[in-house]
Amino acid sequence: MISAFIHKFSSPKSYVRLTEKLYPFFIVLGVSLLTLGWIWGLLFAPQDAVQGNSYRIIFLHVPSVIFAELIYFFMAICALMHLVWRVKLAAYLIKAAAPIGAMITFLGLFSGSIWGIPTWGTWWQWDARITSTLILFIMYLGVITLHGSFSNLIKADRLMSILVIIGVINIPIIKKSVDWWSTLHQPASISISGGSSIDPSMLYPLLISIIGLGFTLISLGILSSRSYIFTREKNKKWIAEHV
Amino acid sequence: MVRLIKSEIFKLLKKLKSWLGPLLIMILVLIAFPLSIDISQFDLDKFYFSIIVVSILMTSFVATEGMFEEDFEDGSLEQEFLLEKDFYKLALAKIFVFVFLIGIPLALIGAIFSFANGVAFNSFAKVFLILSLSNLLLFNVFAFGNALSINKGAMLGVLSSLPLALPVIILLGSSIRTIQYGDGFISIIALMIGIGLLMSALMPLIISAALKTHID
Amino acid sequence: MKLLSAQNITHSINDAKLFHNLSFDINSAEALHIRGGNGSGKSTLLRIILGITTPSKGLVELIKPDLKISYLGHKNAVKSYLTPLENLELLFHDAELKHAFKWLDQFGLTNVQDELTANLSFGQQKKLALIRVMAQSSELIVLDEPFVGLDQATADQLKNFLAKKLSEGVGLILTSHIDPMIECIELDLGV
Repeated sequence: MISAFIHKFSSPKSYVRLTEKLYPFFIVLGVSLLTLGWIWGLLFAPQDAVQGNSYRIIFLHVPSVIFAELIYFFMAICALMHLVWRVKLAAYLIKAAAPIGAMITFLGLFSGSIWGIPTWGTWWQWDARITSTLILFIMYLGVITLHGSFSNLIKADRLMSILVIIGVINIPIIKKSVDWWSTLHQPASISISGGSSIDPSMLYPLLISIIGLGFTLISLGILSSRSYIFTREKNKKWIAEHV
Repeated sequence: MVRLIKSEIFKLLKKLKSWLGPLLIMILVLIAFPLSIDISQFDLDKFYFSIIVVSILMTSFVATEGMFEEDFEDGSLEQEFLLEKDFYKLALAKIFVFVFLIGIPLALIGAIFSFANGVAFNSFAKVFLILSLSNLLLFNVFAFGNALSINKGAMLGVLSSLPLALPVIILLGSSIRTIQYGDGFISIIALMIGIGLLMSALMPLIISAALKTHID
Repeated sequence: MKLLSAQNITHSINDAKLFHNLSFDINSAEALHIRGGNGSGKSTLLRIILGITTPSKGLVELIKPDLKISYLGHKNAVKSYLTPLENLELLFHDAELKHAFKWLDQFGLTNVQDELTANLSFGQQKKLALIRVMAQSSELIVLDEPFVGLDQATADQLKNFLAKKLSEGVGLILTSHIDPMIECIELDLGV
């Protein structure tokens, strides 16, 4: 029954039709919220008592790192669906999401480096959190490279899904590394279970930036996945009817 | 299973470069490093363990490169599939043989060289145990990378397996510190044994799925 | 006795359809000869029958899961860094090993038994690979282009061996461009 349900709602055709309607909503919402969050955070949020204005990179860095992990988690769920229920759309979504995940992870590392200079006096530190995020970036590259190495795309989808599932072990390591090892990196600013350690005047633009980036990345993912679906399904009748 | 272990031991011993090569590379790196750097023995003692750890990482990768490639290229994987219907036993046998014939000697070499740089004699067993367990974890990880990338070159194998290997290296570093400071050794060893057993049971399953995909 | 049953086998590779709705049974003492042009999917069909490749649609059922199958594909499955003797010792034990040595002698490989397999000719390596099929006791023999690379004498030995196995009740599936000279059911995959 579960299998029938999944296959009913996860055909590439249904996905393309659904995302055609959702995409304008997501892109407008995403860009608007991101712009609002960044303008508020960069121009109107107060200075930090210790770091001064250099903390403002938080509005780029924190959302980037959050989504670096979330995108991989999403890929892992898709990988599970592909391996267990043979949902080919899931494989297409992994292939579309991986470059976006790599890009946002790189942005997180880059913005973190910039933040490190005024804060720690160094642009790089081999501490657990930063190293784990670098490992995540390498994982994304591994997924992209692995899929691209095979001419048989069905085989490539399966192997890519296996790699993603195994690599998901890295996500809790990154998440908890700040707590498990003594590290230069500051602890999490926002916690799902408890309160946050930053002032509401900074927290609200941060949350808006996070939500805005989320919707923007979903929009990018929709564009990327639709393009890839058209490539993979190009011989199917419904593509000709759609296009 | 015994059949597979016997045949893997036989094949590995026949391929001298696959078995002896990594051991010689390890010895070469551990000898070459102190010769190549002009610092006092006291300073060398402080970070020689890092050299051992990095050498273990490199030689483990080199040792497992092409682990499944030969069987894939010559059609032995298909023959094995006809006999067993999956590759779990094959993967388990290969990893076991590689750890036994290459991993344990690498750990022994690392432990011996650690003497040269300040580790007390009564810590020899601890260093050997830690390095052996690390090799068990690393060989599992690199075998997985090899199974994914079979005939696609070393770069893909590295990209696939290095992100999983680096947490093992972090764990290895923490375990070395427990010897240096004399605290928490039992708990870290228990953790490594637990992860080692879990990996040894699960990784062949995943490797089997990857190999089946390759021959499909 | 039925050995296996293939039902509605359809297979495509990267959207190119190889064959569609193939159904057939293999019984004991029966031979199936799969014919077709280059790229028609003969080797792929063999791999589907063996369970190595999963078909896009359809099912292959073996009469029992542990059916003893001997298979020789395009790859010889011999280790190039071992000698023919070592290769056989790796594969066989006891009675089967003695049987394998007999075939080694019959194929004229005794004088090269201690040379590295990598240094043998293509035909010699093929003969070594064939010994795996000949020395193993099996209920079904599956061969992909077994006569390629063989001299006439060895090809005749192989044909006689296959005829003998058929008379003993073993099933046989093979692909071949040349006539196997044994009574077969023909399956043509076209061009």
